[in-house]
Amino acid sequence: MKPPEPITTTKDGRQRFRSDETKTLALNDPFAWLKRITVAGDACAWNRFVGGVLLALVVLLFLSGAFLAFYYSPVPGAAYDSVDFTLFSAPFGSILKGVHHYAWNLLLVLAIFHLARTFVAGAYRKPRQLTWISGVAILGLLPLFIITGDLLPWDQRGYWSTQVRMSIIASIPFAGDMAVRILQGGALTGIVALTRFYVLHILFLPCLLALLLAVHFYFVARHGFAERLNGKQAADHPIAFFPRVVNRWLVLFIVTVSLIALLTYYWPSPLGDPADPTDSTYVPKPEWWVLFLNQLVAIFKGKWAVLGTAVIPGLLTLFLVGLPYLDRSPGNRPAQRKTVIVAAALLAAVMIVLSLMGYFEHFGLPRQ
Amino acid sequence: MRNKDVPSPKKPSEESRVNRNRREFITTAVLAGGAALLTGIPLGIYVVAPAMGKSIEKWIDFGSPDALPDDGFEMLSYEFLLKDGWQILPQRGFVWARKMPENKFRVFSSTCTHLACNVIWQPETGTFECPCHSGRFDSDGRPVAGPPARPLKELTYKVEADTFKVRMTV
Repeated sequence: MKPPEPITTTKDGRQRFRSDETKTLALNDPFAWLKRITVAGDACAWNRFVGGVLLALVVLLFLSGAFLAFYYSPVPGAAYDSVDFTLFSAPFGSILKGVHHYAWNLLLVLAIFHLARTFVAGAYRKPRQLTWISGVAILGLLPLFIITGDLLPWDQRGYWSTQVRMSIIASIPFAGDMAVRILQGGALTGIVALTRFYVLHILFLPCLLALLLAVHFYFVARHGFAERLNGKQAADHPIAFFPRVVNRWLVLFIVTVSLIALLTYYWPSPLGDPADPTDSTYVPKPEWWVLFLNQLVAIFKGKWAVLGTAVIPGLLTLFLVGLPYLDRSPGNRPAQRKTVIVAAALLAAVMIVLSLMGYFEHFGLPRQ
Repeated sequence: MRNKDVPSPKKPSEESRVNRNRREFITTAVLAGGAALLTGIPLGIYVVAPAMGKSIEKWIDFGSPDALPDDGFEMLSYEFLLKDGWQILPQRGFVWARKMPENKFRVFSSTCTHLACNVIWQPETGTFECPCHSGRFDSDGRPVAGPPARPLKELTYKVEADTFKVRMTV
C-alpha cells in the first residue's frame, strides 16, 4: 500500500490526509473488520425484531444474574436470607431480581414464537438446517436454566418444584435414578445439590448457551434469511452490520430493559416462605411452560408412565431436531408443505389443550 | 527531521478526525452510552451502596472491674453476635486491660498495628509482643521494637453498676 498523500497542511504544520475515499478516524483500523461485515438488507425489516429482542434478553439475563450473585450464598437457609437481603436491603435489588424473573419468562415465550415463525416460513429447510438445529438446542437448554435456577432462592416453591421435577426424572426407567443422583450430587436436595445447581446455573449452562448462540449466529450470517412468504423479493442489498444492525440491537435493548424494569417495578417478582423440607402440606403448582408435560405425566399412570415422562418428550425433541431432514416437501411455501404443516398444527393443538387441561386442574376452572 | 511525505498512517492528526460516517458513529455512541447508563447506574448503586454501611458499635460487658490486676494486663475474651449481610455469626477476640491508680483503667486492642496479628502481654518484660514479626509495645501501647510504627489502639471503657464495659467498633 502506498503511503497516503497529504491534502492540506494546517497552520501549526500538521498534515491532513485522505486515505482511499474516507478520512481517517482514530479507531478505523481496529474496527475495519467489523465495518466490513455486511448482512442482507432484510435484517432491518420492521418485523424482524424478535431475534434482536431475544439477544437483548440474553444479555439482560447474563447481566442481572451476574449482579444478583453479588449478594447470594448457595447454602440452604442462608440462600433464602441472601435473596431477602437482595430484595429488601440492596438498592435496586428488587428490580434486579424482577428483571431476571420476567426476562426468562419473556425469553421462553419469544423463543417459542421465534421457532413457530421460522417453522411457518419454512426457514429451517435446506440450506439452513443447522441454523434451525442450533436454535432448537438453545430452546432445549432453557428448561435446564429454569430447573437449576428455581432452587436457588431456597423458598418453598423452588424447593418443592425441584422435588417434583427430580421425581419425574427419577421415574425414567434405567437411567432416571442415576440422572437425579448425578444432577443433585446425591439423593438429597441439600447443600451439595444447591451448590451444583448454582454452578451449573451461573457457569456451565451460560458458557454452553454462549457457544450455541455463536453457532446460531454463524449460520444465520452464513446462510442469511429465507425468502418471504408473500413472494416479494426481500430487500437483499447488503447493509453494514455496523452500525445499522448494532444500532437496532441497542434500541431493542433499551426498549426491552425499560419495559421489563417498569413491569417489575409495578409487579415485583415474588419470594415465598423459606423452604421447609418437613412441610408435607405444600403443593407446588407447575409453571405455564411445563403444564403440558405435567399433564402427560398425569395421564399416563403405572406401567405407562414412561410414555409421559420419556417417550413422548423424547419423540417431540427428535421431531424438532430432525424436521429439516424429515420435511421432503417441494417448496418453502406453506401450501407446498401441507403434510408438515398439518402435523405440526396437530402437535401444537395437543400441547395447547394439554396445557389448558393442566391449567384448569391446578388453578381451577374459570367461573361460569 | 520529520519526513513530510511519509507520515505514520496510524496517527492521524487531530484535524483529520473528520469522517463522513461521523453521524453514524455518534448515533451508535449515544445508543450504547444510553444502554450502558440505563443498566450501569442502578447496577453500580446496587453493588456500592451496601458496602458503605456505617460501622457497628457495641459495648461489651466484662463483669466486675475489681477482678482486673493493677500490676499488668489481663486478657479479656469476648464473643458477640454480629449481622454480616444476611448472616448472624459470632465475632470472637480479646482485649488487654489493667487497673490504674485513682480508679482508672487502660484497655488496648490486641490487634498489632503492623499486620494485624494478636499481641500477647509478657509480664517478665512488661511489654506486648507480637508473635508474627517480633514487634513490641510498652505498657502504654507505644511501639518500642520491631516493625510496628503506630501505637496499639486504646479502647474506650466505662464502669456502670459495677460492670466493666468496653466499646468495640466493627
